[in-house]
Amino acid sequence: MAHSTTLQSSAAAATHDAPRTGNWDGGNEPFKASYGKLMMWFFLLSDAFTFAAFLTTYGMIRHKHEVFTGEAKDFFFSTRWWPIPDHVFNAFPGMGEANVPLGFVALMTMILILSSVTMVLAVEAGHRMDKKDVQKWLLWTILFGSTFLLSQAWEWTHFIHGHAEPTIMADGTKLYGANLHMNQYGPVLFADLFFFITGFHGTHVFSGVCLLVWCFIATTNGTFEKRGHYEMIEKIGLYWHFVDLVWVFVFTFFYLV
Amino acid sequence: MASHATTEHTLAPGEIAKPNTGWIWKTFFVLVGITAIEFVFVFLMHPSTLRNSIFIVLTIFKAFFIVAEFMHLKHETKGLIWTILIPLALLVWLLVALITEGSFIGEVLQNMFK
Repeated sequence: MAHSTTLQSSAAAATHDAPRTGNWDGGNEPFKASYGKLMMWFFLLSDAFTFAAFLTTYGMIRHKHEVFTGEAKDFFFSTRWWPIPDHVFNAFPGMGEANVPLGFVALMTMILILSSVTMVLAVEAGHRMDKKDVQKWLLWTILFGSTFLLSQAWEWTHFIHGHAEPTIMADGTKLYGANLHMNQYGPVLFADLFFFITGFHGTHVFSGVCLLVWCFIATTNGTFEKRGHYEMIEKIGLYWHFVDLVWVFVFTFFYLV
Repeated sequence: MASHATTEHTLAPGEIAKPNTGWIWKTFFVLVGITAIEFVFVFLMHPSTLRNSIFIVLTIFKAFFIVAEFMHLKHETKGLIWTILIPLALLVWLLVALITEGSFIGEVLQNMFK
């Protein structure tokens, strides 16, 4: 901008450039939010559409299938009907074949909510320009985030290998676990949707952990302190809470309903 | 952006303000509480449309607390709040439309050979 006006008189350049000194170089700040934060909001909105498409697909396909109508205790896996989630997700690490319906997923939910809390604590510390606290809470968030990823890895492994009791098909084949073509829990699409929805969410958590590690390095190097604000932590915090938010919905629609 | 109230005393150079984290932990306990209620319903109630509705309402409560408090949307300008919320209303429409469609397709398929 400045270069193209060098031929004009400096007074003209000054009047031309003067109004362009606002927050967004247009003299004002839409929605009283910084450019970066607003764009993060719009990105998250678009991401919400993606996840909503996944969950809507889940809802549609689930409604397309038959529902098991008997007593919950008489339930058995069959490709005829959609499985009851607490019969599928009932294993807990280190407890062998013990029946702990939804126990592990409850723990995973707790871990992710806790990571959201430590993330806000990091943002709050950033407002106070407290570098030590920012580092501390970022490390906790990275720890909880990684723990969630490891839990998900365990959950996937168990889902893929299957329960100790196989599901016996009409032709006598014994089915264990799941892949994209068949699974012991129910209709093919049940496992496919599990892989796609929790996988897409897990990818988001993984990206979040990478961003947090980068944030921790930048904080330690004093990048944000020199910049005079910790807004980057806020923006990545928004992303992180969004990932937690998506889990809240995945948890309800995949595990509870 | 309005920030949460901090104590109104001026800081000496190099001094760091005291943390103000009460509201964060309050939100945390609300979220944990709602999740606990969800588990009570999973084990004490038979699956039904009513139970599913309870889950969905509780989920929306949780989403509200995460978005309003943790993501700070409650404290942003009205324009930003509506910019985020209005497009999300379309998703409710999508969800209702496709679930209805799913039930219909299922009915057709299940009755095809009867």
